[in-house]
Amino acid sequence: MNVKVFEKLHAEGLLSDASLESVKTAEANRLFSLHWEIKTLLYLGVLLLSGGLGILIYKNIDTIGHQVILLIIGVICAGCFSYCIRQKAPFSWQKVNSPNAFFDYALLLGCLTFVTFIGYLQFQYTAFGTAYGLATVIPLVVLSVSAYYFDHLGVLSMAVTNLAAWMGIAVTPFQLLSANDFSSDRIIYTGVALGIILLLLALISAKKNLKKHFAFTYQNFGAHILFIACIAGMCMYEATYLLWFLFMAVVGAYVYLQAFKEGSFYFVLITVLYGYVGVSIVVTRLLIRSNDIDGIYTGLLYMIGSAIGVIVLLIKLNKKIKHARV
Amino acid sequence: MLAYSSLSLDNLEIKEEAEKALRKECIDVPAYKAIEAAHPVNFYTPNPVIKIGLFILTAVIVCFSLGLLTLISFDMLRSEKGFASLCVFVGLACYGVLEIFIREKKLFRAGVDDALLWSAAGLLVCSVTYLYDGYSSPISWCFFTFAITLLATLRFADMVMAGVSFLALLGLAFTLLIKLGPVAKTVIPFAIMVLSLAVYAIGRSWMKQYAFRHYNWCLTVVSVLSLLTLYLAGNYYVVRELSNTMFDLQLEEGQSIPGALFFWIYTTVIPLVYLYLGIRKKDAILLRTGMILLAAIVFTIRYYHSVMPLETAMVLGGLVLTTGAWALIRYLKTHPHGFTYVEPDEPSLADKLKVESLIIAQTYTPGAHTPSNTTDFGGGTGGGGGASGDY
Repeated sequence: MNVKVFEKLHAEGLLSDASLESVKTAEANRLFSLHWEIKTLLYLGVLLLSGGLGILIYKNIDTIGHQVILLIIGVICAGCFSYCIRQKAPFSWQKVNSPNAFFDYALLLGCLTFVTFIGYLQFQYTAFGTAYGLATVIPLVVLSVSAYYFDHLGVLSMAVTNLAAWMGIAVTPFQLLSANDFSSDRIIYTGVALGIILLLLALISAKKNLKKHFAFTYQNFGAHILFIACIAGMCMYEATYLLWFLFMAVVGAYVYLQAFKEGSFYFVLITVLYGYVGVSIVVTRLLIRSNDIDGIYTGLLYMIGSAIGVIVLLIKLNKKIKHARV
Repeated sequence: MLAYSSLSLDNLEIKEEAEKALRKECIDVPAYKAIEAAHPVNFYTPNPVIKIGLFILTAVIVCFSLGLLTLISFDMLRSEKGFASLCVFVGLACYGVLEIFIREKKLFRAGVDDALLWSAAGLLVCSVTYLYDGYSSPISWCFFTFAITLLATLRFADMVMAGVSFLALLGLAFTLLIKLGPVAKTVIPFAIMVLSLAVYAIGRSWMKQYAFRHYNWCLTVVSVLSLLTLYLAGNYYVVRELSNTMFDLQLEEGQSIPGALFFWIYTTVIPLVYLYLGIRKKDAILLRTGMILLAAIVFTIRYYHSVMPLETAMVLGGLVLTTGAWALIRYLKTHPHGFTYVEPDEPSLADKLKVESLIIAQTYTPGAHTPSNTTDFGGGTGGGGGASGDY
């Protein structure tokens, strides 16, 4: 806080002596927080450690033998999990704060090594048979249980990513578009299914009050996947693109209403933007039919005009949510 | 000079300070309401998330307007010069709209104004440079970028403009010094260092001055960038590789540059100096820049000398980082010397959007992939929304 500002306010008679004093003491006792710096270091450390161990093992496979490697990974993983179990606060369906700063990262390291452990077992011994599904289901189960049991949003995101991988699509944020081939039917339908499942999970978390703060993560992954699958459907299917558009409208209305209930600017924004892309695709498809240079002019004018319209809409919505919140 | 009313900017600061005091319970709600009423802020600033949407949409409008105008005047343009003139026109139009919006609609960091400013600056820089000498030499590039972004910074106090302006200034110095010929390769690193240090010193002293209070964020950006360039100007990797390409030294592998010892010491010492000063002065800018540059030391050394294999380095580094952080957290429990591990109480957008969990998801790849029946992973398109249907 800038003490000068408060002195000025005090001189104007807007601030009592006591308030000014408390501002001054608060400012004098202010501590310099290293929270984010240390968190970054810890996270980098965990990443380096799990990555480095992975490579180390891979390179020395001939000299130390598979059992030893498995043992090492297993010990680290077990160590992390036993630390977490000893430290954790009692389980509750509400938000549980982590007991100390190290806890979150120990859990993360434990989960990462566990996934390596299972992957290694499967690769080396095909322990789970040739039904590859099982090798992904086990991490999925362990990750989801840990996410709920220890209340860790990062692990929950890992579980969601794993669920998607099990169903056959990549939902890693920056690879959502590049790693999936949205021209294949299977991916589109899987995306729709996964999106609906995640949105349902979000609804259940929020409604039944089961780890309510997890709802955002589910809703976030779910809404993006579902919208992208719908857009892919609109682009891919000549005959049924209007049906896909209708479906998208239903999804959009649902996400929009939820967003308003929660007062979430973020979901309102993505609904509006995805919806806009959807409408634009329909308009473009209709314009392409006209097969005429005028179509291009109309298209450009449409884009300019509609973007202005959406801006006005967003500004209105911004106002509306603000009032809805107060 | 500033496009915004100075009184409103002051009131905005007062309001933000009062909000902080309210959060810390130094003042009560009636006092806050009274302060808010006595210092009204008439800016229009939407929620940060909505702002991103407004930014994207405005950028879409500018792009399509440019496209439409090009299409309409296609016959008149004929040459590249004609197109450049059109870009000047659109850039000026963006600027005009921006001024009107700020005056009439009181936009302030609303997304629309940022997009208009960036596109105006971008269009003007490209087209003016082209119109000036026809082939866009690096010197005129840097000069016009510097001049236009500097003017934009002064008028709109925009952080990005300030940063670009500083980098363009360095670029200008670099391109001018290269003309010196063979002397250049010894002079340039030191010239850039001196320039960065000077800008840093000036920036930090202006930050404390009342007259520059509205430019505080611009000056912060410039200080961070100048600390980075101060380091990079003497970083061994940067100096060696850059002089190798720019001055055609034809260094063999393992061969080093004149004055290598100096640059090696510089490479390893400067980040530690930043860290030390950052901790001494409790200066977040120095501290965080120092932390980032620690990584630069590691990468520079590893590039030339393989001290140990990568995986051993990773494991050791990971161990050092985790135990170090663990020790720091324990040490900070009693708040020694005014430091703490307690989270700062300012609510941040990153928190609300759960950015941390997304980063974890980004760096994590599920262990065993389900083999798919179709083997067409990896080559996907973005959905292919058509030429004008998607952006």
